[in-house]
Amino acid sequence: MDKLYRNKLVISTLILPGLLLFLFAILGPIILSVFYGFTDYSGMGSYNMIGFENFLNLLKDDKFGLALRNSLLLALGFLLIQHPIAIIVAVVLDKLRGRAEGIFRCIYFIPNVISVAVIAFLWKSVYNPDFGFLNKVLAFLGFSGQINWLSQENAIWSVLVVLIWHGFGWGMLIYYTGIKNIDPVLYEAASIDGADQKNTFLRITLPLMKPVIQVNVTMAIISALKQMETVYLLTGGGPGDSTQFTANYLYQQAFESFRYGYGNAIGVVFIVICLGVTVFLNKVFEERQEQ
Amino acid sequence: MKSITKTKIKTKSKMIALLLTAAMAFALLAGCGATETTTTTSDTPVSEPTEPDVQPEPAEADEPVAEDSGAEPVTLRLFTNLPDRQNGQGLIEQMIVDEYMAENPHVTIAVEALDDESYKTKFKAYAMDGMPDVVNIWGQPSFLDEVLDAGVLAELNEADYESYGFIPGSMEGFKKDGKLYGLPRNTDIMAFYYNEKMFIDNGWTVPATYAELLELAGTIHDAGFVPVAMDGGEGWPMAIYLTDLLLKLNGDVANISKEAINNADFSNPVFAEAVQLLIDADNAGLFQTGYDSQDYGTAMSLFTNGQAAMFYMGSWEASMALNQDIPEEIRTNIRAFFMPVVEGGQGLATDIAAWNGGGYGVSASSEVKEEAIKFLNYMYLPEKLSKYGWENGVGMSAQDQSEFMTGEETELQKIFINIINQATNTSGTPINDNGSSLLKTTIESNIQSVSNGSMTIEDFLATLVEACAP
Repeated sequence: MDKLYRNKLVISTLILPGLLLFLFAILGPIILSVFYGFTDYSGMGSYNMIGFENFLNLLKDDKFGLALRNSLLLALGFLLIQHPIAIIVAVVLDKLRGRAEGIFRCIYFIPNVISVAVIAFLWKSVYNPDFGFLNKVLAFLGFSGQINWLSQENAIWSVLVVLIWHGFGWGMLIYYTGIKNIDPVLYEAASIDGADQKNTFLRITLPLMKPVIQVNVTMAIISALKQMETVYLLTGGGPGDSTQFTANYLYQQAFESFRYGYGNAIGVVFIVICLGVTVFLNKVFEERQEQ
Repeated sequence: MKSITKTKIKTKSKMIALLLTAAMAFALLAGCGATETTTTTSDTPVSEPTEPDVQPEPAEADEPVAEDSGAEPVTLRLFTNLPDRQNGQGLIEQMIVDEYMAENPHVTIAVEALDDESYKTKFKAYAMDGMPDVVNIWGQPSFLDEVLDAGVLAELNEADYESYGFIPGSMEGFKKDGKLYGLPRNTDIMAFYYNEKMFIDNGWTVPATYAELLELAGTIHDAGFVPVAMDGGEGWPMAIYLTDLLLKLNGDVANISKEAINNADFSNPVFAEAVQLLIDADNAGLFQTGYDSQDYGTAMSLFTNGQAAMFYMGSWEASMALNQDIPEEIRTNIRAFFMPVVEGGQGLATDIAAWNGGGYGVSASSEVKEEAIKFLNYMYLPEKLSKYGWENGVGMSAQDQSEFMTGEETELQKIFINIINQATNTSGTPINDNGSSLLKTTIESNIQSVSNGSMTIEDFLATLVEACAP
């Protein structure tokens, strides 16, 4: 068998599918995207090479800046709101045991199994000022007046609530799995030594969850940066550009404004930002581990 | 013995390696085969009945050759933005498709229908990789300029359509350098649909001036209703509202907007005045709360459920009068009026926001171009699109429909036919569609900000200048 694995023909045969997949489904589109980023291609007909013009225009594009800011705001929302709550809920679920543990785990995960289109239309209806659930509840509680949850001032916060709510179950489930993998003997030993719940959480659960947190946080930030479908269906980036996100802006430029070249330039910058963020997060977690 | 064993192991390893290679090659080939099948299926969606946007052809067209001796079987691909094949214009289109296949058994028409936004995105993808034979197009610069520059549409012979009764000037949007590349389907008119019974019950009267309209908004609001349901989430209805106001202020939109777009100069004060009137409407509470984030369906349902007194939309919604899904007491009381005059403006009450928008073209790369043009011409026979459209109350055609009037038209149809007959001027292509697609997206996103007060008029006009700058 050893000889078989040393056979170059076998080796190349085994890596060929993965290599082809990487070349045609990942590397090829990225190279094409970089290429089109240097053109004035509208998506149809001929095009000209225009050098760095698209990238220079991006630097001056306020809407791109706004979209990037909103994406980073969402990433912060994930980091500071969604994930701390997800860890706490995962810990509580782990302590629940029995039937309740399974029931609540399912309930928290339900938003993740619902289609994004359904989620968007559901929340559109919840936020509707005339017949929406939120305003009906407020009216029932005695508050007068209609709150426009998707107004230019409120929309970004309303969208963040939906996105944080939608991704919560997924983050929570990963943390929950991480907690389940911690050896219960450690908790028993801590209990014998008289450690309280706070100390057990801070000194056993959190340190042993670091690899899980690293993966989860990286995935959350990347998903915040590439957020598109929920925003597109919920607000389309509006009113105005108040809920514009990077990926949505890329789509609008490439396919609605017929600026395919410019859209690809956004895509290239977007990839660079995602890579930069991933490298930065890896460094942060590595340094912490070394400490 | 040892060497024999070694040789055996070597041979075995080679055999396994060869087997693995063969298996891999087979898997790859199998993969290629599967891709081809999928592509074929998606390219000819008629064979995929589970897709909601795909229409199965009628049973009689399944075996075309058997009924038509000698003719070569032909499959035409029709790509359309009318996904609802049971109502409105989609129904009319499907009726004509079915009739054409019945009359020409050797022809199979595969229909692929998507809603507007998805349609435009896929249209672009098709433009890169082979367009279907007959496609829906918009005779407006924001859509057609790039399409014609890319050379994806076939030239049509204008002389062929002399007897088709097209309204004079309706083909202009589909031409470039004097050559015709498409045919208009509709004459679109923007109107305020209103619930006449609600107006009478509450003692409201149809406003004669813009000031009266804003005053009426307060009265309707006080009575607990939404004055005008507006689809502000998409931007284009408000851009048409702005066009409507420009017409009432200036008495002409086509020339001033084209001049402003070509010169990237919106300093003509009439633009700022029109935007101010739009802001006044927001301040007067003319539209529903949150209009700038609500879509077409939500706005329309406010009106058809009786929560809104008026609905600002195009003549293509005249079929509301026949829509059985709308409660009868509302459906039978829907009437329409047009943007009232603005005090001091040059536009008359009979100057209306009207244009020829949607239509059809034929792919320049079609392998069955002759049959595609034949089908296109068949659709535009006066007794087809035009007549069926009129009979089903789906709005105004771009062709003369007077011969199809029966006297049994709905009140809404009569209102629209009267205004088009009395029209002293029309707006032509709305301002958002009169320039590049970048100008379109700029207007449609920023008009929400300017109307709700998040952006100043100066900043709004500056973004238009930037979008028009070469």
